[in-house]
Amino acid sequence: MKELFSKDKWKYAFYTVSHPMDAYYEIRHRERGSVPIAIVLVILFSFTFSINRMSASFIVNDVDPLTVNALPELVAVFLLYGLFCVGNWSITCLMNGEGRLKDTAIAVGYALIPLIVCFNIGTVFSWFVTEDEGAFYTMIVGVGIAYGVIMALMGIMQIHNYTLAKTLVTIFLTFVAMFIIIFLALLLFDLLNQLYSFVHSIYQELIFRV
Amino acid sequence: MKKRVWIKRTIASLTAGLMLAVSPAITALAEDLPYDTYNYDYRLNVVMTPAAYVPTRSVTGQDLGIDGFTEPQDLCVAPNGEIYVADTKNSRIVVLNHNMTEVVRIIDSFVRDGQEDGFRMPQGVCVSENEQLYVADTDNKRIVVLTPEGEFIKIIDNPQSEILEDDFDFTPLKVAVDYADRVYVIAKNAFEGILVFESNGQFTGYFGTIQVKISLWEKFWRKLASKEERSRQQLFIPTEFTGIDIDSDGFVYASNIDSDGVQGVRRLNPKGEDVILKGDKANLGGDIQIGTYGTYGGPSEFVDVVYREKGIYSLLDRKRGRIFTYDREGNLLYVFGGLGTQRGTFNTPVAIEVVDDQIIVLDAYQASILSFGETDYGALINDAVALRFDGDEALAIGKWEAVLKLDENNELANTGMGKAYLTAGDNAAAMKYLKLGMNRKYYSIAFKRYRNAILKDNLNLILTVVIAVILLAVVYQKFLKKKFSIGRKKKGAREGGLAQ
Repeated sequence: MKELFSKDKWKYAFYTVSHPMDAYYEIRHRERGSVPIAIVLVILFSFTFSINRMSASFIVNDVDPLTVNALPELVAVFLLYGLFCVGNWSITCLMNGEGRLKDTAIAVGYALIPLIVCFNIGTVFSWFVTEDEGAFYTMIVGVGIAYGVIMALMGIMQIHNYTLAKTLVTIFLTFVAMFIIIFLALLLFDLLNQLYSFVHSIYQELIFRV
Repeated sequence: MKKRVWIKRTIASLTAGLMLAVSPAITALAEDLPYDTYNYDYRLNVVMTPAAYVPTRSVTGQDLGIDGFTEPQDLCVAPNGEIYVADTKNSRIVVLNHNMTEVVRIIDSFVRDGQEDGFRMPQGVCVSENEQLYVADTDNKRIVVLTPEGEFIKIIDNPQSEILEDDFDFTPLKVAVDYADRVYVIAKNAFEGILVFESNGQFTGYFGTIQVKISLWEKFWRKLASKEERSRQQLFIPTEFTGIDIDSDGFVYASNIDSDGVQGVRRLNPKGEDVILKGDKANLGGDIQIGTYGTYGGPSEFVDVVYREKGIYSLLDRKRGRIFTYDREGNLLYVFGGLGTQRGTFNTPVAIEVVDDQIIVLDAYQASILSFGETDYGALINDAVALRFDGDEALAIGKWEAVLKLDENNELANTGMGKAYLTAGDNAAAMKYLKLGMNRKYYSIAFKRYRNAILKDNLNLILTVVIAVILLAVVYQKFLKKKFSIGRKKKGAREGGLAQ
């Protein structure tokens, strides 16, 4: 565990931001990445997102503060993250991807760094802007999102050793896989529910009759 | 327990009595009212407010010593203050005095070309600025123009024009007259808009057509459907206007039933274009939070509109029996009223008018006129909005302050206070109130002034700090970096290879 959180690993996460192509290659082939760090980054991103919605200035922020709740948002972000990683892994397994589940997890997790940075900078920046300067705030956040998306794209491309076109196709299929997983999960949940109620009614019959 | 309640009640009634004794204006306890008064806030939540208007009395035909009204359909207040009631099923026009205490006269017939003539189911009535009485004589398919005393002047009927269909059946429902004696008529099945007649009775055309909105999705299905299927689909016809009023500038306010609940009223300029302002919420459709099912669900259905003064107008909703009041900018000021059988509630509200500071509503089923008097709260809002309409925002601040004492979440009042502080130069206070009023645009202006003032005052300090930081960085780079970096590995992460 100590190794996975070492200073070197942290430094490498930031190195990934500046040199995504090279760094993702080494993450896949030289074990430079760390899943715990990726998970910490996801948690940080979730909080950053909530903080941004909660306390970005009134001028740029139309969110009702009463609707912001960090914990459900953390759960939602984690669910999406996990779903994406599993979906991507299951698709790339079938499409000759070289990456492992942990590589995808690291690739996506590290790609959140620009979002974390830009959202936080944007939140602080928004306290000093007026309405006509709001475009700068949008730009800061937009740059963060764009950089994050590009990083994730590069990461998935590198760890699986894909071409760009194939990456885009797999990402599309990943979303399809995510929907299938959600569908199956709902189906399973429903079935379990019915099973439970079935057993429960038998139990009640027995209780009342015996 | 019971005793406590009794004590509470006594105190409450004593206080109410005291308040009544102290202030001549009407004070109402919420529990006495058969309806809620509310408004929608920035996030479209329902916010209960103090009562703006309270029921004062109701007048039936019997109260006035005549036969009861039978399904009366329209009301009109003449320039001299008399109130005209279109008593539809009795085929007569009843004229009441200003206070609605007695009948001035009843017009049920007139002499035309030496012959006795009468009305059949008149559904609309209007008195022009020139003191002429216009009656929409619905079943006789004509507009009858009389003097207020009932002397015949002229008849407008059977409009002739190329734009009218050959079998067009002129059945007037509501009528209004502007300062130039142009006659605006809402007729049955005239989907193209309001019919306009010149003062000589000549039909000039339609006015203020409501455009039909067809969504892309509906268009798509119509494309797919065959001709036969299309003929069986419902037609896309615009909604009809329901009520009409004319403001002091000659602009026509016309209400309509909007199935989307977005815009239930139009303000038409002399060209017939809609120039109404829809406010920040872009909604003039009455209730925003509505149920979907049942007779009580669905968007508000406006049956009449009354232009009051200073840009304020009120709309009457027959669906839930509520009265919505908007200002010129399209801000919802207050909502009150309700359906029911209690005193002060409606069954089938059909027409709304304003007499001094009273709002009067005609109920067809109850066959009575209900009047509502303004409370302190309602009067303060009306006054403040009127002052803003006149451009006296600085004077309005006192009114808004008083409104905030009664209803501290009132966004209009907070915005009004904020704007006044902004004009006065108190940017911090302006920011506080404008944020409470959820007015982003003016908050931004206040914030900009506030921020720039701070920057200006502290410019020396800020520049000094910036220069100091730059100097420090230079010094660090030139002289100290070497010293500190002795013994530190030069290798970056990239050349490190496998660290483990």
